[in-house]
Amino acid sequence: MSGGILIRRAGPATTIQDAGRFGMLEHGISESGPMDAAGFGRCGAMLGRAGAAIEFSQAGLDFVVEGIECRAALAGGAFTLSRNGVAHPWPSTLELRAGDSVSITPGPSGNYGYLRFDHELDLPPVLGSRSTNLVAGLGGLSGRVLKAADRIAFRGEGEPVAVAAPTRPGEGSLRFVWGIHADLFPAAVRERFLAGAFVVSSRLDRMGVRIEDRDGVFATTPILSLVSDAIVAGDIQILGDGTPIVLMRDHQPTGGYPRIGTIISADLDRFAQMRPGSALAFAPVTLQKARELFVASVRP
Amino acid sequence: MWPEILPLGDQGLLVRFSRTLSDDSNRAAIAFARRLRDALPHGVREIDPNLVSVLLRYDPRTVTFESLAGEVRLLLSVAGDGGEIAAAAAHRIAVRFGGEEGPDLAAAAAALGMSVEVFVAQHNAVPLRVLTTGFAPGFVYCGFHPETMRLARRTSVRPPVLPGSVLFAAGQTAITSTAVPTGWHVIGRTAFRNFDPGASPPTALREGDRVIFEALS
Repeated sequence: MSGGILIRRAGPATTIQDAGRFGMLEHGISESGPMDAAGFGRCGAMLGRAGAAIEFSQAGLDFVVEGIECRAALAGGAFTLSRNGVAHPWPSTLELRAGDSVSITPGPSGNYGYLRFDHELDLPPVLGSRSTNLVAGLGGLSGRVLKAADRIAFRGEGEPVAVAAPTRPGEGSLRFVWGIHADLFPAAVRERFLAGAFVVSSRLDRMGVRIEDRDGVFATTPILSLVSDAIVAGDIQILGDGTPIVLMRDHQPTGGYPRIGTIISADLDRFAQMRPGSALAFAPVTLQKARELFVASVRP
Repeated sequence: MWPEILPLGDQGLLVRFSRTLSDDSNRAAIAFARRLRDALPHGVREIDPNLVSVLLRYDPRTVTFESLAGEVRLLLSVAGDGGEIAAAAAHRIAVRFGGEEGPDLAAAAAALGMSVEVFVAQHNAVPLRVLTTGFAPGFVYCGFHPETMRLARRTSVRPPVLPGSVLFAAGQTAITSTAVPTGWHVIGRTAFRNFDPGASPPTALREGDRVIFEALS
């Protein structure tokens, strides 16, 4: 017996995620991967070697270790953690033995947390990745969310992980670069977009996050008929009824709604962790600035 | 100035040949995608052809948008107008039209003032081109039908239709490979599946390929 874990309780939208399924857009499959890539990376760096992660949502996760000693790291967001009833700080690295019971319950901030082990998960890569893509029903455990009574076995050591840079989560406005349809919005709407009061709505998942447009910035935007075009994570798309939605890691690969901008790579993890009700403001940056921030955010 | 070279986020460069879908703009996108496949510019990690554009996803640590845009302009200047798409693969797709598999066939034919028999014959009369892929796993758009076969989408969206559904609207025929909701007319179904997650690559049809629809009786 190779050992592994037994899930006792899983919140909604608990999935397996690795670095993502790159290069499949033309086949109709978006990249997936962790909603908070920095949190996922930090989790791996805490172990040195790590396998794919279990990404859990606000409600957390309970599991029991079966038939193996292992190390686990938990990071991303701020959750409440205990092992065998004893509290541990967040984030933490734990030395676990068979029979240990770990409980992750809601904490003060964040939408997503990561659990990784010093072992790889015994799940078959699909098209080069173990990431669950819920839209396509691919990867992870049979392409679906994890639930109570699921068992995940270990298989060999995890992959070496580079030590992550000290995290600077950033704060303030979400920075974006103007989008491929920005010129279709009247100048007055673009200006009001920068001044508007926006709030993260409760309708969010791995595909996208709907935004409340409290000032009605886009309420009068006429419905535009556009040729369907490629989507990338972070795109700020305005639906026909004027609702802004930020497309996330499991985004649909193409879409025909106008996109006013794209949240920069360096700010997307922070956005993913913003809970419903969080106030938002958007600030444009140049492509050069976005690049500098991205390069700084991924430098080991 | 067409085509436009635009940033799509901070790791994407979009080459957009038009703002409207036409035979010319689609051909240009396909021709450019093929050119890219032959020689991927430095720093480009993935290309994604669309109806009238091609997305190049690049690594900003390796290449800047400006230098990639320069390389793209150079490629475009020698890419020709896309008028001729060189030797494309041809695929025969057998379709059961109408009945339970194609609940909208009769209405679509009637809306065009044709009998079902004439509609099917017209639909299958000439090979279509794969305009693009990528809306959903294995999903392909094929076109273009002549003006006499041009029909708007339905006014309502159907809940997800079965994989293999053959969809008709806007002068095009699309084939699904997974369950997707659609506002198009569902005119038939095929046993062909353009998606196999165990295969590499996972899809068989590529932009620019020729598709010949055949009616199963």
